[in-house]
Amino acid sequence: MEANENCASKCCGRLFEFLDSSIGKKFMVAAAGLLLVGFLVTHLAGNLFLYVGDGAFNHYAEALEHNPLLPLAEGGLIFLFLVHILLSARATYLNRKARPVAYESYKGKGARTPGSRTMALTGSLILLFIIIHVATFKFDVGGLKGQTPGTEESLYAHVITWFSNPLYAAFYILAVGGVGLHLSHGVQSAMQTFGVNHPRYTPLIRKAGLALAGLIFLGFVSFPVYFGFLQKCLSCSTGAH
Amino acid sequence: MEQIMDNKLMNLTLKIWRQKDAAAEGELKSYALTGVSPDMSFLEMLDVLNEQLVAKGDDAVAFDHDCREGICGMCSLMIDGQAHGPEKAVTTCQLHMRQYKDGDTITIEPFRAKAFPVVRDLCVDRSAFDRIQQAGGFCSVNTGNAVDANSMLISHDTAEKSMDAAACIGCGACVAACPNASAMLFVGAKVSQYALLPQGQPEREKRALAMRAAMDAEGFGHCTNEYECEAACPKEIKISNIARLNREYFRATLISE
Repeated sequence: MEANENCASKCCGRLFEFLDSSIGKKFMVAAAGLLLVGFLVTHLAGNLFLYVGDGAFNHYAEALEHNPLLPLAEGGLIFLFLVHILLSARATYLNRKARPVAYESYKGKGARTPGSRTMALTGSLILLFIIIHVATFKFDVGGLKGQTPGTEESLYAHVITWFSNPLYAAFYILAVGGVGLHLSHGVQSAMQTFGVNHPRYTPLIRKAGLALAGLIFLGFVSFPVYFGFLQKCLSCSTGAH
Repeated sequence: MEQIMDNKLMNLTLKIWRQKDAAAEGELKSYALTGVSPDMSFLEMLDVLNEQLVAKGDDAVAFDHDCREGICGMCSLMIDGQAHGPEKAVTTCQLHMRQYKDGDTITIEPFRAKAFPVVRDLCVDRSAFDRIQQAGGFCSVNTGNAVDANSMLISHDTAEKSMDAAACIGCGACVAACPNASAMLFVGAKVSQYALLPQGQPEREKRALAMRAAMDAEGFGHCTNEYECEAACPKEIKISNIARLNREYFRATLISE
């Protein structure tokens, strides 16, 4: 029994050492980040039902909401966000402490990218967006569902109503731009953190990371652009005929 | 005649970090320097400044230097926000004043990191690197005399990779250039040079664990893959060495007893 406890504490000790180490923190941030990208892809795929129509989208949303495993998935998602945010916030704090006196002039040699420079900024923007997004879309803060009579339960109508608000649509576009910028660095950076660096594959990984960031940005930005602006213009022009 | 015109002496304004000792507050001070030849190295230019300062009865600017031929890793300096100045794959001692033109203002600061405290002016204490190296950057098995050719099979590519990593002179430009003051390129190079060769295998896991722990204990920052270290490195150490360090550390965590 004692030997077992000793064994467990040794194992936990090594594991804790890894998680607390500079490399281990990055490893966890990268792993959680890539899993969150996986969530984004699924989320985007689900949202594409918006283009099929209100029936298809509402059916999808209802099926999702009635799935008994949903709370588990939501819990997992919250866990991933917490790991990603808390560990990167701690790393950022320690990084600031690692250079207590700043340079008067700091230019570098051009290796940094707009994405890499702004990881903390875009990350914070995305967090702010998620809070507002979950509040408005899941918990109906702002109470829009009641304002569209007869469609109280329709998530489709809810989405259209929010995107018709230019301020909300603009914020959504800004946040999704932040996601794109965050991923333009994040995807290839995660691979490097996992130790995947190869003369043959790394250039491809960098391009694929950029492409994925671009696709996720374009996919999500299409919703406010289409439902907030284009659809209105289309219906205006059809109305004029 | 044309050559004389080309070698025209320059006048420069230098803004240099002056700090009496580790405990003192430092500040950037401006100096007007005359008669700088484009053929001088950057350090020779500082020698000229010091001669002028001493002649006036001022304290000379303290800066680190040794071999002055780009192989020892002693010179440093953050020159206009770039470690070892504007050129690629060059140490400060191999930077020449022909890079500058008459009337230029040059800002010269010490390498900045919590783990590299300023000793005086532009000199920083880089012994943190020595302590990381002492934690595991060695091979304690007796490798004996040079063996007969081809009796120990190492592919040419692998030997070259190890040699490329071993080219690190430990100057600390990677830390200075990193937005997070991370030492991952240095530690990556030192772990890689052994991990790639048979002689490094007996202590492979122990080395990765110990050098990572020593690196973090010195207070260096976390690598966020900005790759400024690779761009600043005078010996062009590649970031693939950081990826290898990540792998080595992860592997050692899993399999080391």
